[in-house]
Amino acid sequence: ADWLQPQAAAAYPFWAQENYASPREATGKIVCANCHLAKKPTEVEVPHSVLPDTVFKAVVKIPYDRSSQQVLGDGSKGGLNVGAVLMLPDGFKLAPEDRISEELKEEIGNVYFTNYSADQENIILVGPLPGDDHQEIVFPVLSPDPAKDKNVFFGKYQIHVGGNRGRGQVYPTGQKSNNGVYTASAAGVIDAVTETASGYDIVIRKADGSTVTDAVPAGPSPIVAVGSEVAAGAALTNDPNVGGFGQIDTEIVLQSSNRVLGVIAFFFAVMLAQIMLVLKKKQVEKVQAAELNF
Amino acid sequence: MSILKKPDLSDPILRQKLAKGMGHNYYGEPAWPNDLLYMFPVVILGTIACLTGLAVLDPALVGEPADPFATPLEILPEWYLYPVFQILRIVPNKLLGIVLQSMIPLGLIAIPFIESVNKFQNPFRRPIATAVFLFGTVFTLYLGIGAALPIDKSLTLGLF
Repeated sequence: ADWLQPQAAAAYPFWAQENYASPREATGKIVCANCHLAKKPTEVEVPHSVLPDTVFKAVVKIPYDRSSQQVLGDGSKGGLNVGAVLMLPDGFKLAPEDRISEELKEEIGNVYFTNYSADQENIILVGPLPGDDHQEIVFPVLSPDPAKDKNVFFGKYQIHVGGNRGRGQVYPTGQKSNNGVYTASAAGVIDAVTETASGYDIVIRKADGSTVTDAVPAGPSPIVAVGSEVAAGAALTNDPNVGGFGQIDTEIVLQSSNRVLGVIAFFFAVMLAQIMLVLKKKQVEKVQAAELNF
Repeated sequence: MSILKKPDLSDPILRQKLAKGMGHNYYGEPAWPNDLLYMFPVVILGTIACLTGLAVLDPALVGEPADPFATPLEILPEWYLYPVFQILRIVPNKLLGIVLQSMIPLGLIAIPFIESVNKFQNPFRRPIATAVFLFGTVFTLYLGIGAALPIDKSLTLGLF
């Protein structure tokens, strides 16, 4: 359906897949932020701890004002899309279809998840999805079993989550999208603001008399008037962007049921020992009361 | 009911100690064996159980391997260095930063000499020392909170 919605290709996780081996840079920045420049909150909910070989859900929330509309590729207004990347610890992966319960299936809805790459099953991508119905995305996740996979160990691990709403401001090539501010390429006086088939042409007359033309695509609207003076790099248009990207880290414990049983047994032993000590003390006190020699 | 020993008020040594506000270990519940042998292990075992439970149910995170070539986007030292980090961050000149840092040991060295003529120990009777201490504490907290905020908010804490 690409020819029906040609803009559908405009803001999507596969560009990150094409350009980055891992979606998380060494500094901890998730690469979506390289194109989605605005910062907006993203939330995540995962269980505190999970048992091995268990399906659980990770809920990513990408809130935004449902009444807001973004600029589409052709300059018209439309709803926002959302997308998310979930970086699980090594060994965790998307739950296979037959392990997902009916209840969970209903919660997930009609969402299609992909892996970041063939050898990175622990990184799950989703999107673009129509944002108004998917501000909450439920990921079905299968935890690994250290008994079967010798590379996985019980313990606490980090989960990195990135969530995005709306289109980006630059393309991976560095080219600007029409969902951002356009700035003056030179200092001077605005000579003309003409509407063209694909947006605006803003002509700036420099101090030496020569002119430069800054083409603005449909989407952002000019905020400068003819005759006004602009500095180089000053905004020529408003900022049409309403979306943004946010990332958050959380933690999850891969817990062994034997350890939990062991700790409960230990608690019982400790409790018993404490009760015995108190009883012994009471017994000794009786002797002390009888002898009264201390 | 626990076994309580009554104070022997006919003992002149005890009376002398009590007059000085001391000697409270001469009466009450005996430490040995009631407390030391029976109650201390109860508390020690309880502490061990709490720590074991936490270690099993909420183990410590093993972080990512350090990468000396990746500077984090936000640099922050350990929390106890926040105030001095903030001094370095907000002064415009590195030398000035070092000079201001040296004020911390100099201030600590000055403590015995501040108000040393005052014979009282009570902080309420040492107004200068107490005022310096309170101001230093509040200012350190202010600097420490500022270090965790973006630089444009760090002086006002975003309140003004």
